[in-house]
Amino acid sequence: MGRVETSSIKPPVTSQGVLGWLRANLFSNWFNSLLTIIFMVLIYVVARSVLIWSVQEANWLAVVDNLGVLTWGRYPSTEVWRLGLSLSLIVVMGTLTWILWYRHSNPRIRRVLMIGWLLMPFVLTILIRGIILPTFRTIVNNIGYYIVRPDVLISLDQTWRANGALTLAGLLTGASWVIFKKLRSRSLAIVGGLVIIALMIPLSTQSRPWIFGITMPMAIPFLVTFSLSLLVGRAVGLSFVNVTGSARVLAAWWLLSIPIILIVLTTFEVGNEAVDPVEALLIVPPNIWSGILLTLALSVVSIVASFPIGVLLALGRRSSLPVVKGFSILFIELVRGVPLITILFMAQVMLPLFLPLEVNIDRVLRAMAGMTLFTAAYLAEIVRGGLQVVRNEQIEAARALGLNEFLVTSLVVLPQALRAVIPPIMGQFVSIFKDTSLVAIVGLLDVLAVSESVIKARDYLGAVREMYLFVGLFYFVLSYAMSQVSRRLEVQLGVVEKD
Amino acid sequence: MSEPIIVCKDVHKWFGNFHALKGVGMEVNKGEVIVIFGPSGSGKSTFIRTINRLEEHQRGTIIVDGIELTHDVRNIAVIRSEIGMVFQQFNLFPHLSVMQNIILAPVWVRKWPTDKAEAVAMELLERVGIPEQANKFPGQLSGGQQQRVAIARALAMQPKIMLFDEPTSALDPEMIKEVLDVMVELAKSGMTMLVVTHEMGFARAVADRMFFFDQGQIVESGTPVDIFEKPKEERTKLFLSQILSH
Repeated sequence: MGRVETSSIKPPVTSQGVLGWLRANLFSNWFNSLLTIIFMVLIYVVARSVLIWSVQEANWLAVVDNLGVLTWGRYPSTEVWRLGLSLSLIVVMGTLTWILWYRHSNPRIRRVLMIGWLLMPFVLTILIRGIILPTFRTIVNNIGYYIVRPDVLISLDQTWRANGALTLAGLLTGASWVIFKKLRSRSLAIVGGLVIIALMIPLSTQSRPWIFGITMPMAIPFLVTFSLSLLVGRAVGLSFVNVTGSARVLAAWWLLSIPIILIVLTTFEVGNEAVDPVEALLIVPPNIWSGILLTLALSVVSIVASFPIGVLLALGRRSSLPVVKGFSILFIELVRGVPLITILFMAQVMLPLFLPLEVNIDRVLRAMAGMTLFTAAYLAEIVRGGLQVVRNEQIEAARALGLNEFLVTSLVVLPQALRAVIPPIMGQFVSIFKDTSLVAIVGLLDVLAVSESVIKARDYLGAVREMYLFVGLFYFVLSYAMSQVSRRLEVQLGVVEKD
Repeated sequence: MSEPIIVCKDVHKWFGNFHALKGVGMEVNKGEVIVIFGPSGSGKSTFIRTINRLEEHQRGTIIVDGIELTHDVRNIAVIRSEIGMVFQQFNLFPHLSVMQNIILAPVWVRKWPTDKAEAVAMELLERVGIPEQANKFPGQLSGGQQQRVAIARALAMQPKIMLFDEPTSALDPEMIKEVLDVMVELAKSGMTMLVVTHEMGFARAVADRMFFFDQGQIVESGTPVDIFEKPKEERTKLFLSQILSH
């Protein structure tokens, strides 16, 4: 056989170019050709009628005219700029993070970004919900009520403020007890806690109905609140006790908490104009949030809040402490055994029965709580799957290096476990995002419920398809974006495999 | 003779009904290189794992650097940060780069600033001969390179004692030498080492004493010359003939 000149061999024509592709993929034999033709006819028929409908018949005005209603619903139109500002804040922070995080792995820039994201929930809550700031006169006057006229607080239903302040003070004091090494900082922290307690002494002698309507002196719930938060604060403090800079962070928390405690304690109105608090940003209570705003608020809150809870539950389920383990299993199995709808109904109807009379949680907040706990239970099982992927040898290697159990879990086990389950976690997030539409059943107006009320209005009667298409597109775009984020995360964080 | 840094007396360990260690006693002096060998299941790995309490002993005492190993969590933390350990399967953290693997413990346990830890890590990588791999991930390295990173990671804590649990058993033959070279260099630098291995060439070259384990007990111990030239026990002779014959 003679040698064939390689340069004289031409590529087979049919495998090149558009025609080649068509031939290889669509018309490779008579059966495929037949299928191709049938489907082309079908696609043509459907596409033609959709196109004709959307250009000639559809009343897109129904969507365009109502974009505002669909987006922010009953949010006061004079305050809508706050939503715009919130959105811009998120976009700016997101872009900054996108650009700076990987390009400059400078730890200081990263720390600033992290702090920015940690503050985000508070800033957004204040922006969207609004805030009441007390004037100096109000502060002095209303603090006076705790000392001389506790009965007024009770008649105004304002005693929850005392519990709030006690919780915050308890958490901080508990953490300070283990974290602060200097005697002076410690005594300052204890004085801070004592001041709040002293302030509540007159109020705690008063009696009022509490859980299940049992009447008892306020001292008992106060004591429970304070000691519980003291314990929690101490536990949190213990896990940060050797982390560098934790004392400075705690000091910053104290400084931040003083105005918060003052706001919590004093922003109630006593009917005296001279001392009534000032509304710095008009309060828009969550129960009038609606439309896309409500859908996004519900999903963002339940996604962000459920993640840490889910991780803790997953760790709790593998804990060697029987109480922690038992509680985690009980919670996870109970919640997973019940449909989301039932949980939403429970949150709306049953929850008020178990809570103290004075606590009247906003209906939207109740839905948020329900969805958060629901998602947390599912996340816990996903994360548990991830934890099982981490080999025991990894834990041994980390221990042998001298890492304590907290560091072993947070530096070695969790990073590997979470990376292994990014796709199912994001899947759960997409699913809870779409499930927010269920809140319509308990009477909240999410984007779907608003669109339904729009198509019942006389001017837009019959624009059903247009509206549902719009809502469908809204859900699709965001869900698709989330799954794209998931893919990117997988590539970026994925454990590098051997080449 | 210098003072002992590890003192083990009558160490017992059970896994369920299986009596893995039956009264092991050993004293190791500072700077000594100890080689432990024996058939599989003889308790040699279990024994060195009790020294940094990856396994808990149930009877007897273990004193490391003057601190007795008890249930006290603080003692265990101190001792673990003084003892480096190298595993058969390397056990590098796959989600961290080589550099991050090495500086993890110095930064979080010793509280070193990152730049100092990175400088020390770079020196160690040069010592084990792979400074160019600092920013790769463990999955991109060969077995021999991974094991050398594992040695550097353990050394980064500046331990007083190094434990090696069959460090070359999972390696392809052509990579064993590069790891043994690092270990020989380490032994000559005066590090206290306990090495579970069947590399008798390594033992002959650097071991101060050798211990032969069988069925959870020390059958025989002595200098490499004693063990190789005139072993006293039948079991030692038999085992040595088996592993040296091929």
